[in-house]
Amino acid sequence: MKARILDRGDVLKIVDLLRRQGFEVIAPFRVRGRDTYFDAVSDQNRDQVEIHFNNPYYPPKRYVLPHIEPLLTVKRSNGELQIEPAYEQPKRAIFGIRSCDVAGIYHLDLFYLGGKFRDLYYENHRKNLFLVNLVCSDPERDIGGECFCVCADTGPASRDHFDLQLMDLGAEFMAVAGTPAGEQLLADSIFRKAAAVHVERRHAILDEVRKRFKTSTSWFSTTVRYISHNEVLEKTWEEIGNRCIECGGCTYVCPACTCFTVTDRQTGAGEIERVRIWDSCALGGFTRMAGGHNPRRAVHDRRNRRFFRKLAHYFIQRELSMACVGCGRCVDVCHGNIGMPSVVEMIRRATSSQLANGGRAGDPGPTPQPANSGRAGDPGGVGRP
Amino acid sequence: MAHTLSTCTFCGVGCGLYLETAGNQVAGVYPSFSHPTNQGRVCVRGWHVHEVASSPDRLTSPLLKRNGRLQQASWDEAFAFIAERLAQIRERHGPDSIAFLNSPRCSNEESYLLQKFARTVIGTNNVDHGAGVYSNNSIDILLDMLGVPASTNSIAELAQSEVILVDGVNLARRLPTVAGAVIRAKLNGARLIVVGTRIHRVAELADLYLRIKPNSEALLYGAMAKVIEDRGLMDLAFIKSRCRDYEPFLSQLHTYDLVHAAEGCGVSADLIGAAALAYAGAKSAALLYSISMGEKSEQNIQALVNLALITGHLGKPGSGIYALGEQNNVQGVCDVGTLPDRLPGYAPVASSEARAAVEAVWGTKIPATPGLAARSVLANRGNGKVKALWTVRYDPVSTAFVAGVRESLRQFELIVVQHLFMSETAQFADVILPSTAYGEEQVSFTSSDRRIQLAAKVIDPPAGLTPVWQQLTRLARLMGADWNYSSAADVMHEIGEVVPFYSGASYDNLARDYGRQWPCTKDHPMGTPFLYARPGAHRPFKFVPVKPPPPFVAAPGFPLMLVCGNSLYYWNQNVLIRHSETLKREYRMLFLDYPEGFVELSVEDAKQLGIRDGEKVRLCAATGSATSTARVAAEVMKGIVYVPYFVRDVQEQVLGEPGLTHKLVPVRVEKEEMA
Repeated sequence: MKARILDRGDVLKIVDLLRRQGFEVIAPFRVRGRDTYFDAVSDQNRDQVEIHFNNPYYPPKRYVLPHIEPLLTVKRSNGELQIEPAYEQPKRAIFGIRSCDVAGIYHLDLFYLGGKFRDLYYENHRKNLFLVNLVCSDPERDIGGECFCVCADTGPASRDHFDLQLMDLGAEFMAVAGTPAGEQLLADSIFRKAAAVHVERRHAILDEVRKRFKTSTSWFSTTVRYISHNEVLEKTWEEIGNRCIECGGCTYVCPACTCFTVTDRQTGAGEIERVRIWDSCALGGFTRMAGGHNPRRAVHDRRNRRFFRKLAHYFIQRELSMACVGCGRCVDVCHGNIGMPSVVEMIRRATSSQLANGGRAGDPGPTPQPANSGRAGDPGGVGRP
Repeated sequence: MAHTLSTCTFCGVGCGLYLETAGNQVAGVYPSFSHPTNQGRVCVRGWHVHEVASSPDRLTSPLLKRNGRLQQASWDEAFAFIAERLAQIRERHGPDSIAFLNSPRCSNEESYLLQKFARTVIGTNNVDHGAGVYSNNSIDILLDMLGVPASTNSIAELAQSEVILVDGVNLARRLPTVAGAVIRAKLNGARLIVVGTRIHRVAELADLYLRIKPNSEALLYGAMAKVIEDRGLMDLAFIKSRCRDYEPFLSQLHTYDLVHAAEGCGVSADLIGAAALAYAGAKSAALLYSISMGEKSEQNIQALVNLALITGHLGKPGSGIYALGEQNNVQGVCDVGTLPDRLPGYAPVASSEARAAVEAVWGTKIPATPGLAARSVLANRGNGKVKALWTVRYDPVSTAFVAGVRESLRQFELIVVQHLFMSETAQFADVILPSTAYGEEQVSFTSSDRRIQLAAKVIDPPAGLTPVWQQLTRLARLMGADWNYSSAADVMHEIGEVVPFYSGASYDNLARDYGRQWPCTKDHPMGTPFLYARPGAHRPFKFVPVKPPPPFVAAPGFPLMLVCGNSLYYWNQNVLIRHSETLKREYRMLFLDYPEGFVELSVEDAKQLGIRDGEKVRLCAATGSATSTARVAAEVMKGIVYVPYFVRDVQEQVLGEPGLTHKLVPVRVEKEEMA
């Protein structure tokens, strides 16, 4: 990897360079208070781009996986059906994407492009996406109260999966290329060679920043083991589920959540549009089958699914990482304080103490429920007789 | 793309959220981190609130009924037709033959202009909001007992409450952001008391869950007050300096008996005592109820307010009464006068002094007789007196808690509908004026905790569509009124002149932070997070003696209690839910399982009767009988048969008469044998 140095005042020139190359550049802006967002850079707002900012709540994953995405339209004319796919293939760069979100997009890549079937819609968004990663170097402004990338091993500085990485060293910024496309950009005259002193400074800052996280360890490994070995107590899952009000927020803001639903909506006479929409395993309809059977009708059965998917060894082995990037958004978005770190802790504490007390580890099996009973507050009803 | 701060328009919590636009489309939505109410959280409805604007089935042209069929018409034709017909009907039958109903989802500006149109252009007080069919009793009681008809404290202050008592409402399903605030308060050490017959998420987390029999709330709260009085735990200093009518309340209270009440409520005396001591002993305590539940009786609310008064749990952060609205602007709609008996700002229509104050601003006379309430208009057209009906964003056919609406609608001579969609009510219309949707207009809404906030215009409406307030202005001018509003901000300016507690709520002020909580006056433009911080000059609060409600008497042969109510299933009828793919799936799921509707039975009763979920049952009362499908559910209490109100034919057949009943009806359930 090549490291280069540029003056502080030249950082936004990278945005200009990319725009000149025909990229639509997405960058962070501040609205008011703690509220920040990613938006397209224009001539008007270019100077308002933020370098140190609270990571926007609405994750940049929507640039590869839109909240609502048209897939195709079907029209009936002269008794024939015309099907038109709605492909979009933008040339886009995200400037200032945080390391956690870089890891999130990589995770989506593995899901949508890494298997036997490649998702064409995702691929079209991803193909020309240029990522300018910004290292979290300012403990006050960059690190949120709930960030835990140090435990998820994704930050504060990405090791991979970016095109270009920027880090604030004070008067200067360090730029590191992660891909040939990033390297090409370094040929511009705003960049100069880095010296050993810059590398030392980088290490010193990162050492300091790592100490400034409120949540320095989430004890993931213990919890991964308990979940993978099915040792989590049913009552712990119930306790977690009872605090979920099924808003779906944790999955919507999660950079690594991949689920969507597909639906058709009428757009005119004899005309429909097929769209895919972010979906959430928190919702009852997510697992409901045609005919009414819902294998995960109780909320805690749905919640445990989320953590199984993110932390079970089976998935980690397949994707070579947990499906959690440590961004902390699920903590902030949760009405019942069951974001990832607190769930990891609840599982670890309850399971460890059960094991320490000589109790049998593992799931005692499904709680017996009266036949034909739905759980309270669960509108999913019950399976049909 | 652009990101704009706006307000969620689903429930009365009024969460702050951002709308992201791409071109002229709302592409995304996410909660505001810094908004004081939701602080980065929003419920599943908020996450999909943007989908209505992009619905493909919006109405885009005025429709006029010609030869019995609704046909496209020009705006000029539609307005001319309405003006002419309204004038004719007023001429022939008098101004009180015309009635106006809006939705509790209408903006402050359109609600204000609708009631002004009714009162000045037509000359009638026949103006009410759709939730009026059940929520106006809360307004009247709070006005009577506290002097202010709204929640006393901010939702965010629940974090400071030591004890939280939730009355009846399934918060997690109906007001999820409040549920979250309650759950987090509990995790941080608050004690949670939940009262109600149905188990729900927040009830499961309660420290004390009082699973009482239906309609015995007033008995329970009276018994709690009795315990508090017996133990000497009342706040006498507060009662002496700030309350009236303590003595009559006390003599009524002495007719309560804990053991007797325990029997009547179906919970133990110990539990009632524990709840009373917890509530009275807290430094700060909050009472939460929903004003959008048809089954809530006046006595229930009065008894709750008495509890707050006897313990002095008012006027402190986290200490007060939360009258929560489940429609986003039920508060604002009432604040600006969409009530048949009250002017903007709640002054009674019957008071000549109050009328004179508003007349001075309007420059027009206001009729002195209170108008007809929504229930009367919808049930029987005010005994046939009402000939014309105007509805704004309101769909009583599918949402009103009144039976016989279709029949009434057939008999009106004129029905004007302003709506986004071809609703079931719109199908009865003579004229439909399509209007702008959320995100297409800048207007204001007032949350349940009195926060007046702006909803932003982020995209352009479909060609030709205008906001409701503009349409009302145009028609008023056409009918000879001198209305000159060029923006919604202009309308708000006038609201500030007639509603004293809105006088500081200019759009400039509202846009500065996250809206302002009223009273927001010129002297206190920053608004008021909680009420009664400073003692008033006189005793503002009033106790109301509540008689112990009579116990339910099961009739021989009818061992179960029939409860009719809107419960959590209300939302399946909502416009947003019908137009969001995700919400449609989540909230209408039961209709896939029970396509012909259902009545709910407890697991215990079903087992005893040998009835399985999904089987056909016959419901028999002394007054009639009906068949339906059984839904056997753990959240239903033993002894109760629950009929959601939208299963109206079942209600009507069993009760023998249409309409909502607060009464519990003795019934019997039989298995319907297959033919």
